[in-house]
Amino acid sequence: MASSDIVQYQTPLRKIGNILIGLFLAIYLVWTLLTFLMMFVSSLKDLLEAFKLPAVGDWAGVTMFFDFTPTLRHYENLFLDKNFGTYMMNSIISAGGSAIISVVLGSMCAYALSRTEFRGKKDLLFWIISTRMAPVVAVMVPLYAIFRNFELVGTLPGLILAYTTFNLPFAIWILKGFFDNVPYSIEEAQMCDGANRFEAFVSILPLVAPGIGAFLILCVLFGWNDFLFASIIGSGGAKTLPVATKELVQPQNIQWGSIMAAGVVTTLPMMFLGLLVRRYLVTGLTMGAVRE
Amino acid sequence: MASVSIKNVWKYYGETAAVKDLNLEVQNGEFLCVLGPSGCGKSSSLRMLAGLEHISAGDIHFGDRRVNELPPKDRDIAMVFENYALYPHKTVFDNIGNALKLRKVDPTTIQQKVERAAEMLEIKHLLQRKPMELSGGQKQRVAIGRAIVREPELFLFDEPIAHLDAKLRAHMRGELKILQRKLGTTMVYVTHDQMEALSMADRVAVMHEGVLQQYGTPQEIYHKPVNAWVAGFVGEPPMNFLDCELVQEGDAIQVKHSTFSVSLLPEQASIINSAKLERKVQLAIRPDEIHINGKQSAESIKAEVKITEPLGGDMLVDTTVGKEKVLVKTKPDFTASMGEECFLSFDKQRWHVFSSETGLAFF
Repeated sequence: MASSDIVQYQTPLRKIGNILIGLFLAIYLVWTLLTFLMMFVSSLKDLLEAFKLPAVGDWAGVTMFFDFTPTLRHYENLFLDKNFGTYMMNSIISAGGSAIISVVLGSMCAYALSRTEFRGKKDLLFWIISTRMAPVVAVMVPLYAIFRNFELVGTLPGLILAYTTFNLPFAIWILKGFFDNVPYSIEEAQMCDGANRFEAFVSILPLVAPGIGAFLILCVLFGWNDFLFASIIGSGGAKTLPVATKELVQPQNIQWGSIMAAGVVTTLPMMFLGLLVRRYLVTGLTMGAVRE
Repeated sequence: MASVSIKNVWKYYGETAAVKDLNLEVQNGEFLCVLGPSGCGKSSSLRMLAGLEHISAGDIHFGDRRVNELPPKDRDIAMVFENYALYPHKTVFDNIGNALKLRKVDPTTIQQKVERAAEMLEIKHLLQRKPMELSGGQKQRVAIGRAIVREPELFLFDEPIAHLDAKLRAHMRGELKILQRKLGTTMVYVTHDQMEALSMADRVAVMHEGVLQQYGTPQEIYHKPVNAWVAGFVGEPPMNFLDCELVQEGDAIQVKHSTFSVSLLPEQASIINSAKLERKVQLAIRPDEIHINGKQSAESIKAEVKITEPLGGDMLVDTTVGKEKVLVKTKPDFTASMGEECFLSFDKQRWHVFSSETGLAFF
């Protein structure tokens, strides 16, 4: 096996390059993290304090940004007056539910597609992924009409179904790649050992677990971050966090503090989830990339 | 234990026939090797026995049972795969015990049986390890352990030792043979390595392009190949072939090459006579059945030394007779330099004559 270290020689050009890379990363970090910082800090401020701005050119005035008395008033407002607990539950159930259904159905379908040959398999695969090619907005109206007929509008099952419609094709494609990489002989050995097809399928699941885990997270993210489905199909009975946040913007009174707090509440769980499964995510999603 | 009978079996992949009209009978407790180059249909045949491939036509019986439509789990077979196919996330113990667990055997019996198998294969100290931590030879033992713990009617081995290094392979050949004799279970063993086939099997089936070429004991396969293809495939270094013509001279039949002419033995000549004289033939002889000499003798053939390859105990001499290459295996005390003249004499009892047209052997 070749060493994975890349041999590098220090040249003046490379030195300058390294400095530029560092600079770029620093700017990028500020660009991405500053918004989160502002959101987090603003969620702890009163409205008046939040809009205290220094004069143009007054760099010393930056300290003004941190000059405030922290308050949890906005969070209290969200959870005590605005029912955000329920909305959070809705978000968790709809995103999690659809992710689990997509992965369970998706892995079975992907396994079947990976292990069998039949006429029109390629066309079937293309058809599956083509359902993801239309923009969400384009299918929204027909989907709404269908859902209304089945009285699914404004319900959690409706929302789960809507997310699953979009997660499932993706799941089938990604998971098929994972199954393709598992040697067939392991299942054949299982079947010779006395397993039926389904037991053989279950026996190789641990081998694709990193991939399935990573994909589960992606599905959760899709549902959690979704606004369009939630606002149209989930409106009413199944309000999720993004929709509830949007409703804090009222013509008379934009509740900046609460909006910031809602932003924090929406972002933090996914960030923690991301941190938790970070390594898993990378190994899982690159799993199909190289043959070992 | 069971006998196996394969009757007129065909295997098609789309339009291509991988196995053509295969007929084999394996006795109860016999060790059969299916030998052939890659793509000859030997693995397809094995997989049909296992139930992993559909049988396109024909019948397979285990004992009196017709198994064509039985799924693998109901055939009472155990298979060892070329790449071992161990479950990477399970320990060696669980790998070996897996089949018993699937059959809902109680845990104490599993424990006993796995330990007995592990003892037999000398891997008892590895039971708690994962396959990743094992060497190739150890993995292979685990794969065999998984097969024998079942006590099946039939073992199916698909090139199980192909990926081991040469020394370990030689060692495992012996061990597998001992194991099979000890268990007394019928075994079908697929390999492309003639050394494995000749050294282990009771009988060998040689396949080429989906067709069974010859089915017999290792001795028969080696000494009485039925056609030129089997003769050329079995044996290392491979047999020499020389394009010749048969010419009747009085009672004797002469084998005439562009540069030499030698007579057949009387009993060989009588075979040719009864089979009607055919003019174009291939004279075939193994490298170790040719004597090489610096001096001319009766019926010796003039050749030119191209290169000598000392192999320690033996010496391979590459020679040319006319325009054709003849490989000779001799003792290492033979010395000759490139381009030097030498003389070859053939062991007439051991040579073969094949029809150029059909490739079939006269003897």
